[in-house]
Amino acid sequence: MLEFIISKYNFWIYIILMMIGFYAMIAKTNLVKKIIGMNIFQTAIILFFVSTAYKSDATLPILLNSQGHGAGHHAAEQVIEVSQYINPLPHVLMLTAIVVMVATLGVALAIVIRVYRDYGTLNEDEIIKAIK
Amino acid sequence: MKVLGFIVTVLTGALLIYGTLDMPNYGDPDSPASSHVSPRYITDTEIDTATPNIVTSVLADYRGYDTLGETTVIFTAGMSCILILRRRKKSYKV
Repeated sequence: MLEFIISKYNFWIYIILMMIGFYAMIAKTNLVKKIIGMNIFQTAIILFFVSTAYKSDATLPILLNSQGHGAGHHAAEQVIEVSQYINPLPHVLMLTAIVVMVATLGVALAIVIRVYRDYGTLNEDEIIKAIK
Repeated sequence: MKVLGFIVTVLTGALLIYGTLDMPNYGDPDSPASSHVSPRYITDTEIDTATPNIVTSVLADYRGYDTLGETTVIFTAGMSCILILRRRKKSYKV
């Protein structure tokens, strides 16, 4: 039972973090708090993906004893053990996701500034009242 | 509204935790995510790109067009920020 919890607890932590962000997105009425919730949500997804890359007893995906441009000639001599390095692909995909996260955060904050300039409030209910 | 949101949040969280029961264990070297495509990148990256850092070689060499698309995303976000925040004199109101 304890072994089962240890093998899955990282996912549960990220799901709790994700649900904190989800609750902020759907239940808060302040627009900035909604954006903070969206950011927490995205961070939880990024942590989830990075944790799937982990292999026990493996190191960062940077090759040890790299020969650079000479590698092609000595390729047969050097054997790279795959289980020695953690999976690089989730890290690359999460770099892309961080870029999208920053872009959405910037545009969302710009829209919020614009809404505040026009309506003088960030409360969702008051904005809906002012539109009507 | 807050109670309804809390109920929806708890239900979604329970569903996701139920989903993790089928996930591979933390630190499993034979998990599906690290057993199909990624060994090829780890073994071939030095021959293909002469770059010791595998993340860099995937980001800038194998998936170079994806990174180019990322810069388009950043450019679009920056342009839309400028267009949203620009003060126009005709429709200026506070």
